[in-house]
Amino acid sequence: MLVYFVFVLGIGFALKRYMRTSNDFFLAGRSIPAWVCGLAFISANLGAQEVIGMGASGAKYGIITSHFYWIGAIPAMVFVGVFMMPFYYGSKARSVPEYLRMRFDEKTRAVNAFSFAIMTVFSSGISMYAMALLIQTLGLFHGIIPDQYIFHVSVFLSAIIVLGYIFLGGLTSAIYNEVLQFFLIVAGFAPLVWIGLRNVGGWEGIKRTLPTNMTHSWQGMAHASTNTLGVEWVGLAMGLGFVLSFGYWCTDFLVIQRAMAADSEVSARKVPLIAAIPKMFFPFLVILPGLIAVSVTSHMAGTPAAVIHSRTASGHAVPLDEQHPHGIIPQKIDPINGQPVLDTNGNPVYNYDLAIPVMLLHFFPTGILGLGLTALLASFMSGMAGNVTAFNTVWTYDIYQAYINKKGTDAHYLWMGRMATIGGVVLSIGAAYAVTNFNNIMDALQLVFSIVNAPLFATFLLGMFWKRTTGHGAFTGLIAGTAAALVHHGLTLPTDALPGMHGGWLAVVHHYPSDMAQNFWTAIFAFSVNLVVTIGVSLATRPREEADLVGLVYSLTPKPAEGHLSWYQKPSALAVGVLAILIVLNLVFA
Amino acid sequence: MGLDIRIPLGLIFLAIGGMMSIFGLITRGSATIYEKSMGINLNLTWGAIMFVFGLVMFLIGRRKKWQDDPVTPRPWERGTGIRH
Repeated sequence: MLVYFVFVLGIGFALKRYMRTSNDFFLAGRSIPAWVCGLAFISANLGAQEVIGMGASGAKYGIITSHFYWIGAIPAMVFVGVFMMPFYYGSKARSVPEYLRMRFDEKTRAVNAFSFAIMTVFSSGISMYAMALLIQTLGLFHGIIPDQYIFHVSVFLSAIIVLGYIFLGGLTSAIYNEVLQFFLIVAGFAPLVWIGLRNVGGWEGIKRTLPTNMTHSWQGMAHASTNTLGVEWVGLAMGLGFVLSFGYWCTDFLVIQRAMAADSEVSARKVPLIAAIPKMFFPFLVILPGLIAVSVTSHMAGTPAAVIHSRTASGHAVPLDEQHPHGIIPQKIDPINGQPVLDTNGNPVYNYDLAIPVMLLHFFPTGILGLGLTALLASFMSGMAGNVTAFNTVWTYDIYQAYINKKGTDAHYLWMGRMATIGGVVLSIGAAYAVTNFNNIMDALQLVFSIVNAPLFATFLLGMFWKRTTGHGAFTGLIAGTAAALVHHGLTLPTDALPGMHGGWLAVVHHYPSDMAQNFWTAIFAFSVNLVVTIGVSLATRPREEADLVGLVYSLTPKPAEGHLSWYQKPSALAVGVLAILIVLNLVFA
Repeated sequence: MGLDIRIPLGLIFLAIGGMMSIFGLITRGSATIYEKSMGINLNLTWGAIMFVFGLVMFLIGRRKKWQDDPVTPRPWERGTGIRH
């Protein structure tokens, strides 16, 4: 683990001498090969929420979680690569908000820049919090650092490391580290899956142990009540597959920034497509461990679940419930009194978030265990670093340069970028502690993210593919879409939830079978309202001159010249290949 | 960029893979350590795999170093004068 930290900072130092202009710092000088960007592209997204959350849902819901990858990411990644990247890369915009200013106007950009900056700070704070909490729960530094300081030490240590390498090497350093993290994550989790599968008797063994709805991704999707997610296929395809995933992968600067660092437009278009290939197979690395964890029965030798329980000295053997298998998943422990948490019916609550960490402790002997834990930490850091680099760019270009100091020299902006990095990390630490102190803030933040993100894609879609769209239209559409999301959330409620944080704070007019269904439908409403309002207002206002929009709108931009490439080098060929593998995967696990 | 990513990538895998293999070699007779992984010496096998991967990456990175180096002239540019 120490080796890893040394390398991480070493890269920062090695790259420091290449950071001469702000362009080098924020856009990596636009000189990174496509495959490196592609790996960074998924690694930046592979943060804490991803690894822990997907392992947890794998354990809780089953292979159906892979929809978040196969429906919720791949089509959007193919779309952004084939259709949208030429505008981001070709318009010479340096960030996504800057593209909005070039295409629409200043106010649309301001809304996007500010909401994005705030969200990145909070998500990197959440990442930090989750990591520190995990280190504390697993007792990694137990015996080295006094218990009550572990949380603080973890927060500050991770902050300093991330700060160090970004401060020194900017985006290049972040991208390089993300590639390292990607390989480490694969190297750490691949043997885990292999040994785990051997233990439970392969995929067939999992199928025997678990109920069938956990091993088939499409079974029961016709109706919400017959599958584990509680979502019907319309909500899944439209909400997750179209609005939410396109809104994230096509407009979030966090991931787009990686593609913008590529060395040419063709490379930039290939970035999300290359990223899509490993992304498709990630369910096997992060969801399968969750499934294996619930398949493993407790008579295995040396159950580490007991190790974790030992602190509470409960040592109980809970009978395996056929309906909700939990395997080696430990019970949730109340951090205050150290007692197992019980739900309202008096049943123990299982802490699915620990699915992957527990798997690591269960199967890895000393030695490779260090690698596994390093991989886990690497995933946290890559998510954090991604947010910090996106924050410093948006802050410097879209907030500082746009509104505070318009005439600084390039060296000044480079300096500002470094300061913004420090500022972003400090704010993230603040956010991490805010999350610690208020129990509900995590839910609230995720809610705010979904409400702000949901309507965004409509704005970009119209902006890029309809030249008539105007700045006023985009701005009002964006605001109306966000408002629609809020109102929809206020009027609906998932069943078995009380009005309040989960919705229904205006009045309850509709019940959804699960909060996931509610979330998807909120996105669908926000998207539709934004679409309609943007079109309406655009038709009523005066469009911009067509000459101003060349390079920004599909119909006015010359098609990228690909004549010199052989067919297998073209992004579209890659895209078709990616989609073909996707269909095969869906059929295999249908 | 002047630094090919494959070099640090190779180095880190060489280092970690090497350490794991050596640890695996020393502890290969120990039944207690490998009880968890069902008697398979994961340290030795996976460490060796990582070591080989690291070696391949490192060598490729070294061989192709000139490709990504902005300062030293590329092979086909040599003799045509000073760049930048």
